[in-house]
Amino acid sequence: MTASALFSSGGNTIFERFRKLNWQIITVLCAIACVGVMMHFSVSSGAWTDMPLTHGIRFAAAMSVILIAALVLDARFWLAIAYPLYAGALLLLVAVELFGATRMGAQRWLDLGPLSLQPSEFMKIAIVLALARYYHQLDARKTGTVLWIVPPFLMIAAPVGLVMHQPDLGTAMLILMAGLVVMFLGGLLWRIVAAGAVVAVGGAIFAYTSVLHQYQRDRVNVFLGITDDPLGAGYHVLQSKIAIGSAGLFGRGYLQGTQSQLDFLPEKHTDFIFTMIVEEFGLLGGFLVLGLFAALMGLTMQVALRARSLFGKLAAAGVAATVACYVFINTAMVIGLVPVVGIPLPIISFGGTAMLTVLAAYAIVLSIDLHRDQHGARGWLW
Amino acid sequence: MSKRGKKVGSTLPKRDANVIFSRRAALMSFVGAGVMGAILFRMAQLQAENLISQQYTAAADENRFDTRIVPPPRGVIFDRFGTILAQTSKDYLVAVIQNDVDDMEEVVGRVATILGLDSEWARRAIIRVRGGSRYEPQPLKEGLTWEEFNAINVRLPELRGIVATSADVRAYPYDVVYAHPIGYVQKPTQRDVDLALEDPAAGAARAMYLRNPQVRVGKAGLEASMETVLHGDAGWRKVIVNARGVEQGEDETERREPVRGSGLVLTLDHELQRTAMQNFGEQAGSAVVMDIHNGDMLVMASAPGFDPNLFVNGIGQADFDAYNLDEKKPLYHKTVTGVYAPGSTFKMIVGIAAKQAGVEDDWHVSCGGGFYYGGRTFRCWQRNGHGRVNLHNALKVSCDVYFYQAALRAGPERIAAVSRQFGLGEVFDVSVPNIRAGLIPDPVWWRENRGEPWTGGLTVNYGIGQGAMGVTPLQLAVMAARLGNNGHAVVPRLVRDAPGVREPGPAPRMNGIEAEHLARVRDGMWGVCNEGGGTARRAGDLQLVRHPETGAAVEITPETRGWEPVQIAGKTGTAQVRALTDALRGRHYSTIEWRFRDNALFCCFGPWHEPRYACAVVVEHGGAGSSVAGPIAREIMRATLMRDPSRREPARLAELDAAIAGGRA
Repeated sequence: MTASALFSSGGNTIFERFRKLNWQIITVLCAIACVGVMMHFSVSSGAWTDMPLTHGIRFAAAMSVILIAALVLDARFWLAIAYPLYAGALLLLVAVELFGATRMGAQRWLDLGPLSLQPSEFMKIAIVLALARYYHQLDARKTGTVLWIVPPFLMIAAPVGLVMHQPDLGTAMLILMAGLVVMFLGGLLWRIVAAGAVVAVGGAIFAYTSVLHQYQRDRVNVFLGITDDPLGAGYHVLQSKIAIGSAGLFGRGYLQGTQSQLDFLPEKHTDFIFTMIVEEFGLLGGFLVLGLFAALMGLTMQVALRARSLFGKLAAAGVAATVACYVFINTAMVIGLVPVVGIPLPIISFGGTAMLTVLAAYAIVLSIDLHRDQHGARGWLW
Repeated sequence: MSKRGKKVGSTLPKRDANVIFSRRAALMSFVGAGVMGAILFRMAQLQAENLISQQYTAAADENRFDTRIVPPPRGVIFDRFGTILAQTSKDYLVAVIQNDVDDMEEVVGRVATILGLDSEWARRAIIRVRGGSRYEPQPLKEGLTWEEFNAINVRLPELRGIVATSADVRAYPYDVVYAHPIGYVQKPTQRDVDLALEDPAAGAARAMYLRNPQVRVGKAGLEASMETVLHGDAGWRKVIVNARGVEQGEDETERREPVRGSGLVLTLDHELQRTAMQNFGEQAGSAVVMDIHNGDMLVMASAPGFDPNLFVNGIGQADFDAYNLDEKKPLYHKTVTGVYAPGSTFKMIVGIAAKQAGVEDDWHVSCGGGFYYGGRTFRCWQRNGHGRVNLHNALKVSCDVYFYQAALRAGPERIAAVSRQFGLGEVFDVSVPNIRAGLIPDPVWWRENRGEPWTGGLTVNYGIGQGAMGVTPLQLAVMAARLGNNGHAVVPRLVRDAPGVREPGPAPRMNGIEAEHLARVRDGMWGVCNEGGGTARRAGDLQLVRHPETGAAVEITPETRGWEPVQIAGKTGTAQVRALTDALRGRHYSTIEWRFRDNALFCCFGPWHEPRYACAVVVEHGGAGSSVAGPIAREIMRATLMRDPSRREPARLAELDAAIAGGRA
């Protein structure tokens, strides 16, 4: 790729491309980030502490970087790095397994001097890109044969297994679901989908009895009502349900949520921030935030449908599915519909890793949308 | 390979990936919308449940609201003229909030250095604090002086997690002087909580009150017996707390102010009580001064005292041991729980009993230093004998031989009956706990409790107040008072003014006590203090004279020449603690181990011309009554007669309480 190609792709100058960026998606992302800053201001009891400021600055910085990336890198670039990125992420996961640092009971981090990496986060993007590339290059008729299902299954199973072993059930589930969605959209035969569903139920039972750690099993037990332990594993969800149930249609008011402000709600700045939103802004506030995410996913699916290459379609839809999984699992978790697995609400929960992952995914989506007319030239680079 | 590939290509159905994608993407979107719908529905459902049952609103309120009990200010205890003897005051303390501390050993160590305490204290303090809340201040050291409090305050910036604060605390400004009658308050024990819970009606609320760390309850003396009067009604505050229980705010509309407990006005006179305690010096014993007409106790002293302030915040083991192991028993309220053989102070009772039995005024006994009866000799304290003595002289010189024989003439039943009429063996409810009855034995009691018949030898010993009998200093004072008021059954009291306390009516005359008999005995007591040969000649001479116009007792000066002396009538007593062996007999008392020495007693009333006050003094193992108990009683009586507190206007509780409440607001 020459320098001139960087600045004039498809005959457009960089300024024209800037104009043609999907500003709807960018606007929705910014709106969601604003909700995040607002809530962290409230988490800090109405003070401009480090938390809301860090959140805003982090978002602005990451947003700037992804806009430049979207402008500069086209779909062919993402296609080209799909497999190397996946291979790199997998290697890093193996490295974590061998040399990783253990924090809070889980071996998730790679300490590289001042930098610490969580390779499982890369994998969320890498799995989507790699599978999109796989189906992009595969003859549509072959997707239906058993033989050609094996490689994508292995591609999913390897990272999921490694991440489960860390153990990080939430991230493993996200990788698994994103991968399965891309496979499904890539054209998996229905009878295989049905067979897979049967295997999945069997696998879940097997996982519960022999793979899950005791603390994970406790959470499942509490969720299923097998055990009732309001001060143990069920305490988080109980306090969250109290906050949401008592909030009313309009909530207790900004900075007024008693469960959140008085710290009865644990993890209110990370996994349980949606509860705080509902407590302070009511059912309507919750609807509005979910509406923002629905808009984001809708716009992302629109990008997928508009893209001309199958790679672009699958990558964008994979990102939409990943973000949807984040949002659904997180919100279902805080209202007690699924067990607590430690998945944040993207771009709102505090923490750099999840925000970077989601925004990096949107660099790909924006880039695909900007270069949607590129066919992705099958055979390019191989 | 090519053949196979061809076969695959031909048998597989034609599929267009883009068409499949579009169809499935639409399907996925529907699924996503469905999931989102389910989540929205569940949220709405939670709120709908709450609309009906209010369960989540109630749970949120239960989380954030906490009812905090506000202990009421405890009633103030005053002496009869309004001097404050026990009150609630500010206590300065240093506390630690564990959650804010980085290094507990280091920061507590620095506090110890500032306060001049050792590392052992720091170690214990840390252990104690670790048992409490991590987020609420836990007291490290209470009762700081203002200087210590300031020293901590200026260094607070470098003591992260340490707070210097103040709290209400019960304070006893005269510490040892009122330790026994007033007692002290302490933190309720688990046993107090358990006892409260036994009451099904109010038990739960009371138990909750008792668990409040600021609450103190009476544990000894009047503080314990008058708890319900003094403690008042608790208030409460509805506070907003966070998840760690730290107060964040208050709903002031739900506030109920506590009601201050009622005060108490005692009968004691601070000046006299202090004089009495000072006069005991290092000695152990008890002194009581009573108004012989209305029973007001002006002095109720038990020595040595202890510092009740040490008990309020929980006494340290070392301090407690120092008190508890002391052979002079400072924790023991000797006035009402000390039981002593009355010795010769009992001879007035024997004298009256003998008169009742028909002993004539000219009945004389010849004392040769001993009395042979029932195969053994009962010795007189005067080994050379007193010669011929009648009742008057026998009392004056305290002749044992006379009373051996008088007791035989009176008989044990009569002696016991007269004793009881004069208050010996009776429990007088002076509002303090653990009042003992002592013991006035008689033949019936003896048979029932000792399982053997009464003997004449026991009667002989009864005559000089020895043997199984025992009386308390309080009873001794009542006896002196009833002799002083010519046989009226006056009853002692300690609380003058408090809710439910009424002014006593005039004391009734005691039945069967003839004025003539009393007069003989009283004359003898006068002789003890005022005639040559009286055993309390020195102690009985107060060196006071009567102002001819006002009647007030004043000290002798050149201007008072010719004024009438102020006199008292009394009786000494020296009671054996255990039967003297031949080895001990005759040895000087100072060479005998302290706890085997005789108890010294003295009781008296005065002034002789118009008796108003009675006094009893017991000095444990003091030796002779005349030389040890007498001088103490002299100083107390002297102060009492000069001050004449019964003729001064006493304080009124309503006014005192109003002043306290006003000063507080």
